[in-house]
Amino acid sequence: MSDENQKTYDIIVVGAGPAGMSAATAAAEVGASVLLLDEQPSPGGQIYRGILSAPEARAKILGSSYTEGLAITKAFSQSSVTYQPLATVWQFDESGSLIYSVEGEVTQAKGSHILLATGALERPVPIPGWTLPGVMTAGAAQILLKSSGVVPDNAVLAGSGPLLYLLATQLIRAGSPPKALVETQTFKDALAAMRFFPLRFSAWKMLAKGFLMMREIKKAGIPRYKAAKGFRAEGSKQVEALSFDHKEERLRLECETLLLHQGVVPNTQITRSLRVQHRWNKRQACFHPFTNGVGLTTNSNYSIIGDGRAIAGAQVAVLEGRSAGSFVAASLGFNVDPADVFKQQKIIKKERAVRSFLDRLYQPPKEILTPANGATVCRCEEVTAGKIREYATIGCLGPNQTKAFGRSGMGPCQGRYCGLTVTEILAEENKSSQQETGAYRIRSPIKPVTLSEIAQCSED
Amino acid sequence: MESEYAIVGGGIVGLSLAYGLLDLGKRVIIFDEGDLAFRASRGNFGLVWVQGKGLKQPAYARWSRGSAALWGDYAAELEEATGQSLALQQDGGYGYHLTDEALEQEIKDYTWLKEQLGGNYPFEALRPNELRREEPNVGTDIAGAVYHPEDGHVNSLRLFQALASEVRRKGARFVPKVTVTNVVQQPDGFQLTYGKSNHHLSQKVILSAGLGAMTLGPLLGFKAPIRPQRGQVMITEKLPKLMNRPSDTLRQVDEGGVQIGASAEEVGLDDRETPGALAKLAKDAIRVYPALANVKTVRSWSALRIMSPDGLPIYQESLTCPGAFLVTCHSGITLSAAHARLLPQWMEGQANAPDLTPFSEDRFDV
Repeated sequence: MSDENQKTYDIIVVGAGPAGMSAATAAAEVGASVLLLDEQPSPGGQIYRGILSAPEARAKILGSSYTEGLAITKAFSQSSVTYQPLATVWQFDESGSLIYSVEGEVTQAKGSHILLATGALERPVPIPGWTLPGVMTAGAAQILLKSSGVVPDNAVLAGSGPLLYLLATQLIRAGSPPKALVETQTFKDALAAMRFFPLRFSAWKMLAKGFLMMREIKKAGIPRYKAAKGFRAEGSKQVEALSFDHKEERLRLECETLLLHQGVVPNTQITRSLRVQHRWNKRQACFHPFTNGVGLTTNSNYSIIGDGRAIAGAQVAVLEGRSAGSFVAASLGFNVDPADVFKQQKIIKKERAVRSFLDRLYQPPKEILTPANGATVCRCEEVTAGKIREYATIGCLGPNQTKAFGRSGMGPCQGRYCGLTVTEILAEENKSSQQETGAYRIRSPIKPVTLSEIAQCSED
Repeated sequence: MESEYAIVGGGIVGLSLAYGLLDLGKRVIIFDEGDLAFRASRGNFGLVWVQGKGLKQPAYARWSRGSAALWGDYAAELEEATGQSLALQQDGGYGYHLTDEALEQEIKDYTWLKEQLGGNYPFEALRPNELRREEPNVGTDIAGAVYHPEDGHVNSLRLFQALASEVRRKGARFVPKVTVTNVVQQPDGFQLTYGKSNHHLSQKVILSAGLGAMTLGPLLGFKAPIRPQRGQVMITEKLPKLMNRPSDTLRQVDEGGVQIGASAEEVGLDDRETPGALAKLAKDAIRVYPALANVKTVRSWSALRIMSPDGLPIYQESLTCPGAFLVTCHSGITLSAAHARLLPQWMEGQANAPDLTPFSEDRFDV
């Protein structure tokens, strides 16, 4: 592979979720040459995974929040975008070149601009015992449901956030209702959230969806335990129960599957590898890449849109995608109607309004953000919260020093799952802010690739 | 006087010196930078290495061998104190060579060095068949290796951690997250300025600040002719035992991953990784160990070596400001034992101190 046969495009989009598909389609509509790279075998991202091939029965189980993705996915499929599925992008260059592998074949491509639409990941829920077999995230259960229709029996769902309710209703419709919902949000959270209660009618539509889900869960007779704390996954070889404190007593719910969820956070691995600036967002308790109104990062060759920029959900992701796709195309000289971009920006602002309410209502509790000493934080290298605290006492100020001292973040996921927890613990121990504590430095390969793939980039 | 020794730089070099000075009963303070400082101590390859050292200056070969010989006892002491294994293995190591010319040249160089050292320099050239008896997984497309029985490797991150906790336990004061911006000799000692114009007074001062000595050195009358040299390294997923002994480019760490290094690039203060350099490392690694081709790489990293013009360490007491010492090298792991056990005696002017004149700054006089 050499520089001469590097492919060039006006725009390269990474990620085929709602933001990426919309951005690519919008830019291609006005004549830009667009390459879209995605890891999955078919477009849709996490939320609309497998949507083009989902059987009718499965679509019914997944509901309208899934099927409403069909229109944009079809529009994307019919556009002139060069779509490359099964592509793992593992190196990003500050000048806008990237390297990706498709089944072991390595290609280098360059875009006049790169739009990252790489979405969110679930916030880690490092409770004691979360590494036991049978404990999964709610998102992982949804992947199974969307890609192969597999559902767990008698699962206990624990944590907080809209996805927990959505999954519960989907399991009910699939004929495997969960055993119980154990929720961390408290009455105090609800009160505090009222300050952000959205007064606009369109926001009510979204909240109404939430009420319908609650009703469906209630009708199915699923018990809900609110303001639960002190979570512990129990079991020796496999999870056997979830125990927790509820109204002054310790409860224990037996289960073979425990599905944890505590909201989603932007996946910042790529933007970190580019060393662009990030900003700690207190309400969402995570880092956001620092961007302007249309998602431009502090590296002018890169923008980031959708949940990877800040969690706002699929509706906003579509609008951000269209807006950024059009804007970047315009900046490259393609003829775009500015009124169109402006209009989308206005709607985005309104749609985002509901977010503050949800963020506050489902704010992760402290025991999840800074877990007890016994809980494993870095799963790859088996580093506990107690160890991270110990490293703070011998001088670890930031996550990169804990890496050197105790290998946290050195495994195959490069700290994708433990990063936020390590930052939170160190900030607390060193009485410093999360912003000042910082984050793991991310290096290529962003995702593990074989040595022979790396060797293919040789210049001679 | 607030301290007897102020050490600027809390990397492996500074911590090793602190460890030794604390053993002599000295009051020590260490100034260190933050999480994203250029830290050679985090980027190193983890070798305790004699091979290749001093091919033009036999004194450096002697010094490296001396440190390697001290390592066993030094590691045992740290392990006992911290209850943690450093995974030190010192039963020899290889320098692999892909072409016959390169191997022959290397044999010539070592033969010269051996003569200079009066015949006291053990090494062996291993041809492919002999090499494969020792390392059955080595590929067929290489010329052979030079084997040096005193070479070895260690878990250098655990060394870093052990030194950091021991130095604190023995009573050193630590001032983290600050940059020392000025050092001035005054009648009553050295005044260091750090952070937002804080001051500290110390009898003596040691610059073990890595690349930071480029700016601080001249303030104390040192030449400090050092420069950054970038080295890029990769590590694979954890594997079952693939190699018995380390080499200067490939080693299997005690956790199971294979570490692949290292580039040597003159690019200034740039510690980013680049696909071209990593590709070359990958290609050479696959040639030596073909089984690596299908192994996953989980991470790369890149760090800056602290290089002097001739690649040797610099040990110098300031001629204009006596009591100020410059200690800098690019082999902080190998030399950690010597730095902890021998340099404090030199700084204290004791009779049993080693002769360090070959490593003084005099050699840079034109």
